[in-house]
Amino acid sequence: MFDTLIHQFWSLTYSGIALGFIYVLIAMGYTMVYGVLRMINFANSEIFTVGAFATMIVSKYVFDFSLEMIPPSNAKLFLVIICCLAASMLVSGLLAFLVELVAYRHLRNRTSNRIAPLISAIGIGIVISEVVRILTRARTQFSPNVVPKKVLFTFQGAEIRLDNTVTIFAGLALFIILERFIKLSRLGKGIRAVSMDEDSAKLMGVNLNRVISLTFILGGLMTGAAGFFYVNVYENVKYNMGFSLGLAAFTAAVIGGIGNIRGAFFGGIALGLVEIYASAIVGTQWKPVTVFIILILILLFRPNGIFGEAIQKTRV
Amino acid sequence: MSKTILNLKDLTIKFGGVTALNSVNLELKEGEILALIGPNGAGKTTVFNLITGVYKPTSGNVFLGDVAIDGKKRHHITKLGIARTFQNIRLFGDMTTLENVITASDVRNKVGLIGSILGTPRSRREEKASVAKAHEILKFIGIDEYADRLAKNLPYGVQRRLEIARALGTEPKILLLDEPAAGFNPQEKVELAATIKKIRDAGYTVLLIEHDMSLIMGISDRVAVLDFGQKIADDLPSVVQNDPQVIAAYLGVPADAS
Amino acid sequence: MINLRDKGAEFWERSNRPVRVLTVFAILAVIAALPYAGNSFLQTPIAAFDAVLVYPMGMFILMALGLNVVVGKSGMLDLGYVAFFAVGAYTMALLSTHTGLNTWEIMPIGIVAAMIAGVLLAIPTLRLRGDYLAIVTLGFGEIVRVSALNSESIGGALGIAGIPFPPGLGFEYQLLDQKYFYWTILVMILLVIWVIRRLTVRRPGRAWESIRQDEDAAELMGVSTYKYKIWAFVFGAAIGGGAGVFYASRSMVIAPDNFTLNTSILILACVVFGGMGNIWGVIVGAAILGYLPDRFRFLSDARLLLFGLVLVIFMNLRPEGILPRKKREKAIVKKDSGASL
Repeated sequence: MFDTLIHQFWSLTYSGIALGFIYVLIAMGYTMVYGVLRMINFANSEIFTVGAFATMIVSKYVFDFSLEMIPPSNAKLFLVIICCLAASMLVSGLLAFLVELVAYRHLRNRTSNRIAPLISAIGIGIVISEVVRILTRARTQFSPNVVPKKVLFTFQGAEIRLDNTVTIFAGLALFIILERFIKLSRLGKGIRAVSMDEDSAKLMGVNLNRVISLTFILGGLMTGAAGFFYVNVYENVKYNMGFSLGLAAFTAAVIGGIGNIRGAFFGGIALGLVEIYASAIVGTQWKPVTVFIILILILLFRPNGIFGEAIQKTRV
Repeated sequence: MSKTILNLKDLTIKFGGVTALNSVNLELKEGEILALIGPNGAGKTTVFNLITGVYKPTSGNVFLGDVAIDGKKRHHITKLGIARTFQNIRLFGDMTTLENVITASDVRNKVGLIGSILGTPRSRREEKASVAKAHEILKFIGIDEYADRLAKNLPYGVQRRLEIARALGTEPKILLLDEPAAGFNPQEKVELAATIKKIRDAGYTVLLIEHDMSLIMGISDRVAVLDFGQKIADDLPSVVQNDPQVIAAYLGVPADAS
Repeated sequence: MINLRDKGAEFWERSNRPVRVLTVFAILAVIAALPYAGNSFLQTPIAAFDAVLVYPMGMFILMALGLNVVVGKSGMLDLGYVAFFAVGAYTMALLSTHTGLNTWEIMPIGIVAAMIAGVLLAIPTLRLRGDYLAIVTLGFGEIVRVSALNSESIGGALGIAGIPFPPGLGFEYQLLDQKYFYWTILVMILLVIWVIRRLTVRRPGRAWESIRQDEDAAELMGVSTYKYKIWAFVFGAAIGGGAGVFYASRSMVIAPDNFTLNTSILILACVVFGGMGNIWGVIVGAAILGYLPDRFRFLSDARLLLFGLVLVIFMNLRPEGILPRKKREKAIVKKDSGASL
């Protein structure tokens, strides 16, 4: 049972870290929104799906990438990568903005019905995934990978591939850019102010609607990028791909302490590794259930996550 | 000398690095109106939260009679006879005035789910009694004419009084009022003062947080002053009014600054 | 605009007892006669109308009533309601194929099994609020389904077949003419309505309402919020389980695929469409949402899309649901228990 794990340890580890970065990026969508709204962005999984589809569409239909094509020149490849990544990020960012507008904004302040915005967001998520399902006739679409799966070098028997490496480094870069933006920019400070104390932030002149929209957009950009990386590595898209990945990313955010960006980083990488190792040990049959169980256990026994703040405080 | 029914002993609570209450000692005597005053942020509502079980103290105890109630569940504390109103109105907006009070009085009823489904004679009796009791309380407070109006549609003054009526619905021994006069005009404050006196005269003990000095001085038997989480005075209203420490706490400047 | 509901309420108030009884009988008679209307404009192209009346319409109504107590009245977003339905169905399937018990004997067992599941779910999750409760209950539903899928002992992916119809009392339940199933489920619905109405105008209903509106204030007013939240879950679970037993008995075959997250969402949409907490709205809403996809072919494949749209649109634009709002302010105290002034 542990054979695969031991023999392919470094290979699995590298894949786990790459998957982890995908989780980190999607987790940004959950953790930032929770920070400012104290609500879960239920539609984030569909924002991811749409981002992934964007990469597939751009690479397949705009650039005519296919499984049996002649490898393009490095310059062209670079162009395609940039276009696909940008497309995914922008589409997801835009969709996130729209989700906030339609599902959350109107209902945000109704204190008498706290579950209304959640139901609304679930509805939007369903609408999006159903539209995708109907358009794709529920079939899995295969996507040519954009970043080639070239082996760069071997380390302790593990093949260090280009696509995984790009995921890790680009993911890290995006995370650092986001984190710095939140810390240093004026808008970023607005986000942090609102997440700490909404009323005081408003009194200080922070435009609440703008901050919340921005938070959704930033989360969407990151989630879209995750879509790009996912398609690169796994080479397929399906209408319901967001569900299990979104759930895993949300769990990662909770592990790290929801609302806490750095915590989500830790949670994402950790969960990616755990998942890859666990698949090597017991197979993937129980995977969706395992993530739920981890989530439930954390919410029951350590709802603060490893670094985060308490999820619910009684406000009297 | 009347007996002490509520006793805060060395009550301390810390939130992270902030000590919100520091070893507060306070006795509430049966049948009195005790006012709790102090600048904003002094910890007054925190005291209420500790008494009603919303918070657990970091150290120290809250004694109801001889029983330590800190750490008990909130609805249990209500059952033991402590009820409160809220600084921000927290009525059940989609229920009527009458229903708000009846919901509170349910704590004294015995019938649960099974009895309700079966419609036992006891459940019918309790329902009838609850409605009658609620009307009585509403009449006592003077808002019975609003009995069938939804709470969220009530005028502000009526809502504030409903908060009190609802708390009375739980048949408490001790009533905690958190800024019941907030937003009232002088006329309404006079009426409220009379109502609070009426409540005390009916046998309840009242612990009151307020900012309006004339209201407090008019009806309180005693006044306790909190500042930065510590009790700095606890005496008759006239004495507290002239206490230099109290004056400094409110104004920030000693009375005879050099 | 004529407010039908208020007109109806006025009519009810003005009528004396005989008129009221007659009205109720008339309405029930019309509803009971519906299976015979299969060849009218109500006809459904894909499945027979009388079959549609039972499932999805009747079952949706029943389950929506149950979920309404949890979500609509008590304000707890349960996204895993289908799990209770599954527990009831599998209880029926297993017991009927392994023992000699019939549907009516299994019914209380299935209900109790679902109630136990409700307690197991409620105890750890009731400390959570809002979104977290939603995700955890969603997880619960999925765990039940995947467990059933991976358990060969209860049929795995293929499920269980050969589940018998209920024994008829002087008649036979049939596949091709579902009117007996329909009348049975009608009786079940009426029973559930009766019980819920009783609860609503008494202490449990008030407790649930107060929990939904302001749980912390409710607790400080002496409401045992923990106890009543568990009761809401258990009560909703009981109804779901009962519906599941009935469903299995009618469907003859059940499989994990019948109990997906989608079903939980569909029932939730019925509750939202009908107006959360509003019994009559939920009944009408569930009936409409159950009926439409079977009536109009183009909606059939887009059923989930339709329900998703319902969730978004109604939550935002008309949270009180499809029925017109009552002008008179409702009472959740029985009218004749009031001592007049």
